[in-house]
Amino acid sequence: MPHQCTNCGRTFADGSKEMLSGCPDCGGNKFQFDPTGEAETAPPETEDTATRSASTASPEGTSADDPGVTDDVAEPNTSPPTAPDTEDGAQASARSDVVSPDELAAAAESTEPAADRAEQGETAPSPADTDPSDTDASDSNLDALRQKLNDQFESIRIVSPGQYELNLMELYDREEYIISLREDGRYVIEMPEGWDDR
Amino acid sequence: MGLLTNLRDSITRVTDRLFADDEPKRIGIYGPPNAGKTTLANRIARDWTGDAVGPESHIPHETRRARRKENVEIERNGKTVTIDIVDTPGVTTKVDYKEFLDHDMEKDDAVKRSREATEGVAEAMHWLREDVDGVIYVLDSTTDPFTQVNTMLIGIIESQDLPVLIFANKVDLDDADVKRIADAFPQHETVPLSALEGDNMDEVYEKIAEYFG
Ligand SMILES: Nc1nc2c(ncn2[C@@H]2O[C@H](COP(=O)(O)OP(=O)(O)OP(=O)(O)O)[C@@H](O)[C@H]2O)c(=O)[nH]1
Ligand SMILES: [Mg+2]
Repeated sequence: MPHQCTNCGRTFADGSKEMLSGCPDCGGNKFQFDPTGEAETAPPETEDTATRSASTASPEGTSADDPGVTDDVAEPNTSPPTAPDTEDGAQASARSDVVSPDELAAAAESTEPAADRAEQGETAPSPADTDPSDTDASDSNLDALRQKLNDQFESIRIVSPGQYELNLMELYDREEYIISLREDGRYVIEMPEGWDDR
Repeated sequence: MGLLTNLRDSITRVTDRLFADDEPKRIGIYGPPNAGKTTLANRIARDWTGDAVGPESHIPHETRRARRKENVEIERNGKTVTIDIVDTPGVTTKVDYKEFLDHDMEKDDAVKRSREATEGVAEAMHWLREDVDGVIYVLDSTTDPFTQVNTMLIGIIESQDLPVLIFANKVDLDDADVKRIADAFPQHETVPLSALEGDNMDEVYEKIAEYFG
């Protein structure tokens, strides 16, 4: 069940058709991909292995109604302060048009499960996400995850952190819209519903 | 996954097209990184609305999220055409943070920029599939137009039957070669311009009105 509704936490088998018309439970149309297939509605603290915590669901960088585009006028090149410069903080600051620094700070301290935060429209890392590579064990997990992402998702190949190869045809052919790409092998996608109300 | 969505997408598209006749056409500004897409988008937006669209930079992948400027009213020959312009991230098949290190960027920032750039390409490709009614394809006339990216994108645009104009940008530079671009895509109209200097903008607006009006 590699996909999970970021709103209510319901999980779906890979390629589940149910997702295509939005979550049958809550109508949400954002789904997080979890390459380990271990997405659960259970809160993170019940998880004890490195693999599990590295796969904890966490939506990020998306607004509820506008998946893609910043409207109208350019704002100055903002980079709001994000306290620790983790992958997630960096990612989130790149999304400053949809997430305010305050929300980030609040959410970064929160230990709530991801689904709850998604409901509030907030998007930020859970503590378990912030440094998946602090032990040797999770380093190899990281490699495994990266490999899984590459297999599953051949439209973008992660050569190494910061180095990517893109298959344009694959990207074009994909029906889901990729919102957020992460080193640990997760990304957040949005299904077509979200596009309609732009 | 796929069939259902494809079907639904095409239904949406058809209905969109049926009912959206009086809506402004959404014109995507596409092309490789650094071609001058944002410079062009800003010039068009400034000329007709007074606003800008986004930051320009000599460092590639400055634009990493699509940006839209709506209801740009362009007047040509007593006629007004209204379009939405979408400035998209430069499309490429390879993103490497090392490229940014040459621009005095710290490694962390370069890695981050590179990840965002990759997401940006994914976004740009997605817009091409779903959300644009026409394309302005911007190329830097001082560089070789025969690239995999250009061939692939133009091919996709043609397969979508979208109206497309090729803009040969940066003609103010000495080594600009507009003919090389025109020869590379003889099936499409090539318009020379300098988005930076504002050269040949009259023809630019004329063609926009003609193709996307
Ligand atoms: N000489 C000259 N330079 C130009 C022209 N148009 C753009 N430039 C310069 O080319 C560089 C890239 O311009 P951008 O508009 O940021 O390019 P872009 O296509 O949006 O690039 P990405 O967002 O990275 O894909 C900047 O330094 C611009 O000043 C032009 O007509 N002539
Ligand atoms: Mg740009």
